Amino acid sequence: MTTKNVRVKIDEMKTNSGLIKNLELSVGKLVQDNYNEPMGPTPMPSMTTLRDWDMKLLNKYKPFYMPDCDLCCLCTFGKCDFTAGKRGACGLDIATQSSRIVMLACAIGSACHSAHSRHLVHSLIEKYGRNFRLDVGGMNTKVEAPVTRLVTGIKPETLGDLDDVLTYVEEQITQVLAVGHTGQEGCNLDFESKAMHVGMIDHVGMEVGDIAQISALGYPKSDPEAPLVKLGIASVDRTKPVIMCIGHNVMPSVGIIDYAKEHKVDEQIEVVGLCCTSHDMTRYYTRARIVGPISWELRFVRAGLADVVVLDEQCIRTDIYEEAAKVNAPVIAASEKNCMGFKNRTNDPADEIVSDLVSGKVQGVLILDPEKVGEVAVRVAQKVAPIRKRKNVLPSIEELQQIAKTCRQCNQCQRNCPQDYNIPAALKAAAQGDMSLLTDLYETCIGCGRCEEACPQKIMVHSLIVKAGEKAMYAENNLCRSGRGQVSDVEIRNVGSPIVLGEIPGIVAIVGCSNYPKGGKDVYDIAREFASRRYIVALSGCSAMSAGSYRNSEGKTIYEEFPGGFEAGGVLNVGSCVANSHIAGAAIKVANIFAKRPLRGNYEEIADYIHNRLGAVGLAWGAYSQKAAAIGAGFWRLGVPVIVGPHGVKYRRMLMGREDKPENWEVLDARTGNTVNVGPAPEHLFTVAETKEECMVAIAKLCIRPNDTWKGRSIKLSHYVDLSKRYLGVMPNDLHLFVRTMADVPMTMKDEFETILKANNWKETIIPDPTMLPRMVRKMKE
Amino acid sequence: MSMFKDIPVEVGVIYEGERIRRNDMQVELGGPTVKEKFELAKVLPMDAVEDGKITIIGPDLKDLKEGGAYPLGILVEAAGKTLDAGLEGVIERRIHGYLNYIEGFMHLNQRYDVWMRLGKKSFQKGMNSFEYIGKVLYRLFKSELPIIEKVQITFITDPAKISAMYPAAVADYEARDSKARGLKDSEVDTFYGCALCQSFAPSHVCVITPQRYSNCGAISWFDGKASASIDPKGPVFAIPRGEIINAEKGEFSGVNEAAKKRTMGEVTQVWLYTAFDHPHTSCGCFEAVTFYIPEVDGFGVVNRSFKGATVNGLPFSTIADSAAGGRQIDGFHGMSIEYMRSKKFFAADGGWNRVVWVPKEVKERVKEFIPADVVDKVATEEDATNIEALKTFLKAKNHPVVARWEAETAPAVETAAAEETVAAEGQMMPVMTAASLPIMAGGFKIILKDAKIYANKVIIKTVKDEKAK
Repeated sequence: MTTKNVRVKIDEMKTNSGLIKNLELSVGKLVQDNYNEPMGPTPMPSMTTLRDWDMKLLNKYKPFYMPDCDLCCLCTFGKCDFTAGKRGACGLDIATQSSRIVMLACAIGSACHSAHSRHLVHSLIEKYGRNFRLDVGGMNTKVEAPVTRLVTGIKPETLGDLDDVLTYVEEQITQVLAVGHTGQEGCNLDFESKAMHVGMIDHVGMEVGDIAQISALGYPKSDPEAPLVKLGIASVDRTKPVIMCIGHNVMPSVGIIDYAKEHKVDEQIEVVGLCCTSHDMTRYYTRARIVGPISWELRFVRAGLADVVVLDEQCIRTDIYEEAAKVNAPVIAASEKNCMGFKNRTNDPADEIVSDLVSGKVQGVLILDPEKVGEVAVRVAQKVAPIRKRKNVLPSIEELQQIAKTCRQCNQCQRNCPQDYNIPAALKAAAQGDMSLLTDLYETCIGCGRCEEACPQKIMVHSLIVKAGEKAMYAENNLCRSGRGQVSDVEIRNVGSPIVLGEIPGIVAIVGCSNYPKGGKDVYDIAREFASRRYIVALSGCSAMSAGSYRNSEGKTIYEEFPGGFEAGGVLNVGSCVANSHIAGAAIKVANIFAKRPLRGNYEEIADYIHNRLGAVGLAWGAYSQKAAAIGAGFWRLGVPVIVGPHGVKYRRMLMGREDKPENWEVLDARTGNTVNVGPAPEHLFTVAETKEECMVAIAKLCIRPNDTWKGRSIKLSHYVDLSKRYLGVMPNDLHLFVRTMADVPMTMKDEFETILKANNWKETIIPDPTMLPRMVRKMKE
Repeated sequence: MSMFKDIPVEVGVIYEGERIRRNDMQVELGGPTVKEKFELAKVLPMDAVEDGKITIIGPDLKDLKEGGAYPLGILVEAAGKTLDAGLEGVIERRIHGYLNYIEGFMHLNQRYDVWMRLGKKSFQKGMNSFEYIGKVLYRLFKSELPIIEKVQITFITDPAKISAMYPAAVADYEARDSKARGLKDSEVDTFYGCALCQSFAPSHVCVITPQRYSNCGAISWFDGKASASIDPKGPVFAIPRGEIINAEKGEFSGVNEAAKKRTMGEVTQVWLYTAFDHPHTSCGCFEAVTFYIPEVDGFGVVNRSFKGATVNGLPFSTIADSAAGGRQIDGFHGMSIEYMRSKKFFAADGGWNRVVWVPKEVKERVKEFIPADVVDKVATEEDATNIEALKTFLKAKNHPVVARWEAETAPAVETAAAEETVAAEGQMMPVMTAASLPIMAGGFKIILKDAKIYANKVIIKTVKDEKAK
């Protein structure tokens, strides 16, 4: 409970002990604090508070730069050329410039989530009041906001409390953004440290937004059995008017659903979503449909399936208006961050807006009031659907063949394709009536449309792909588990002994966008492989959708095949982008719940704990956005390794450890204060995998931690060896670095290990109580 | 896989947890449709065991019709100089683990409940004889349990032979159980400690005695004995019991020393049979937690899967949080469900005579170990959901704690809640503007004139009223 600006003025007061005259007491903020835990050392850290911790990590995992661009054209001294070690006019070189771009990307990503959260908190306070109590998991979730508590020292209890948290978040983002200006910071490690800082802030911002919406909008609360909701284009009932919402901010969708329910037309229309908005729609209303990840935008609109397109914020195709115009679908922009050039009609009567959109007088409008968006969207959809009659821009198969014949095989499409797909070959075959190659592309295409922009013949390549894949498209009828929100305290406690005993070899968080190298099936395959091996698999955002888009031999989706709890072999969908904070939150809770490590403002100790003990790995197989960069940076600072797919190299730098440098792998044993070499565990903090197979081996390896019990280590090594043999066809060459005592050796592989250990001159060592912080070394009490 | 290169399928830890569905199975062995089946380990004298011998009595896997369910007995006979019959249960339970490492082979349950399936794919790969299964078991026993010097394995599928052996096997299990449950802490000279949890909770150490399972419920004294003898440098270690300092409270000199050493001096005294003063520490993964209810001077128990609020209004997560982290907290005690079956279960505090509230699920599980004269007097969530209702229930049933209420007229029990000190917030520097601010204590007058006190933030803490309960 917080009260702002309290003033007390006493002109004169006589008491037994004294006289008070003209006393003015002015309190900027009055905080009622029910958080009993004493404040830790670093509440609300500034940019430099945790710099020493960052430097420890950056020393272990030195940045490895892979500049995407050798120039800087940000100030008017430039363009400056950084090739061959040259510095720019401001003094930066390629390393500092690359780290600066990383930092700016993370700041943009963080700003994006936090601005989204700010809008949610604002809107929800307006609707429910500042004193509305937060509830994210009922009785079994005592630690309601682990990231917020850890970073800020605040234990939020009401919507109003989140306001204070966001004020801190916004200040930090501004500070970091300022560092991006010309002439600030001259060392790449400082830029890197600030990137981590703003990544940490990002997780706070995300957590605030998600716990606000979970509490106020009645989403599933830490529910392993959150409902299964429909997913895929074929799950949409095309006989009804279809409202399609794209983006990340659920408020306009809430307006639509509320209006439809209130006017009892919710059964007569389809409310569907793309990208994270769709997750949050289903958390609010289980009849909503998830069309698919962001890469489905063009195919859905061009196939004429949307009668009204509603845009909120983030990751929206900014030319979607033109696409919608071609199929006569009106567009409603509903976010201040995304006005799309439309006239602001927020204060106009709904009747007028509806009539303008239905008549086609205007193709799009800006409405900043979610309730009005709801009314307009529903009414327009009902009126427009019978007029549009599913107008689409897909050619017939015959037309397709004719269009394909106009291809000159110049290869520009393939050159411009981020995936380097052989589109010319597919068009050549199509021209001869063989659609199979084009149909294959439907499965793997990420829907960016760059092929069309490049084509000198103006062939609508993407439309041809969608047409060829039409059959598959109208068979996409799958299930996704609605975002469950946080991991409850009790679930954390339940996994205590299986993690210690090695029954759960690790936690894999598969998050982020759909910029996949070879389609979403990879995500499904990876998730299924690790769930079958009894790892905990946590998913979010577009990855959670892709994982739900395939079925096993028995016809079950991954969410039906595996339980939805935080348990061995569990497959969890935490929710939308902002729910990624719950994955970091779960790691933080492990430290708090198992080891009783204090959370409040105690970032460094908790990060040290997580980094050295918790076998968790993040995977952003299709990472593309700045938000994904920020989420990753938040994990790095906690010491959690992150793997990205091949496109991730375009983030310009990796944080890779050097297996061959033993001096990099020393930790302190908190029991004795002695230095112990624990081997490369985990080997990298940020790395790239080129293929699904390489990725799976890397995940198994990066789950290894210095504290593993011998049983846990032997099981982790079994999976590492098995995946490497199975998918790469080789025995790993670094096994000797991970064996501390013979008990670590998987019991069915003793002979093989003995040979390897002997060849590498292996020596037994101990399992320490690992820490990188000298102050954590315990003193023997007498 | 050089260790298993002559086995037609792979053998590895990664196959653990593999499920074989009915449609994919070649044959089922044991399981719900077969009445008599068993697996049994016996420790024999050295000369009674022929090392490596595998015997099949009755039809082999290749002779069993696809899709059928058949009886099976597995007999593992082991010998070793330091091996004794007390380890038979530990050896027997390894069968489950080892068989599950075989690709396409599923093993569930134990003893007379065993249920196995062989997958079609593995059968087609050549896994068509118990000979192979025997070899896998043999090699894993020899490499994992060096205390076993010789081992022979017999598979019995002949129904008549199984029927003949079955009663003896069942009698063996019963004898073993009653011996295990009858074994007293005072009868052994060695306890075991487990520091596995220290990988996550660095200050916790579990003491495992014949009458006290590990907090997680996964390690018995026999398991501890086996682990410690197999891997003396490992996380499970022997604790010489030492002298009995206090037989009633369960204080042993060896336990105190081990606790002191392993917790870096944090814990110096442990009383094993009480929740008060020096209780056993609690890790993070205990199965249940006991909590003292001062209003009725008795204990409540709550386990992890209990979803709602307990009788004192707090859910498991909150109560567990009070106990966890390797600390000794007066009145709070993380423990295994098995401990509730022990005669030493809070023996110093009155044992079951002091337990007033237990979730129904837990009560059902341990019912036969609750003394007959209290079993109906222990409330569950169906009998009481708050303290008042609990008091009424206990009074009506005349629970043994009621007698204690009358004995203690004054509210003698002080609450164990931690004192809440209002922490001085170091960072908060109130800015005071005044020409002079003479505030003095001890009889002097305090004069604040034209004072202006500004604070960026004032934090008000709620100090709980202890008597408000």
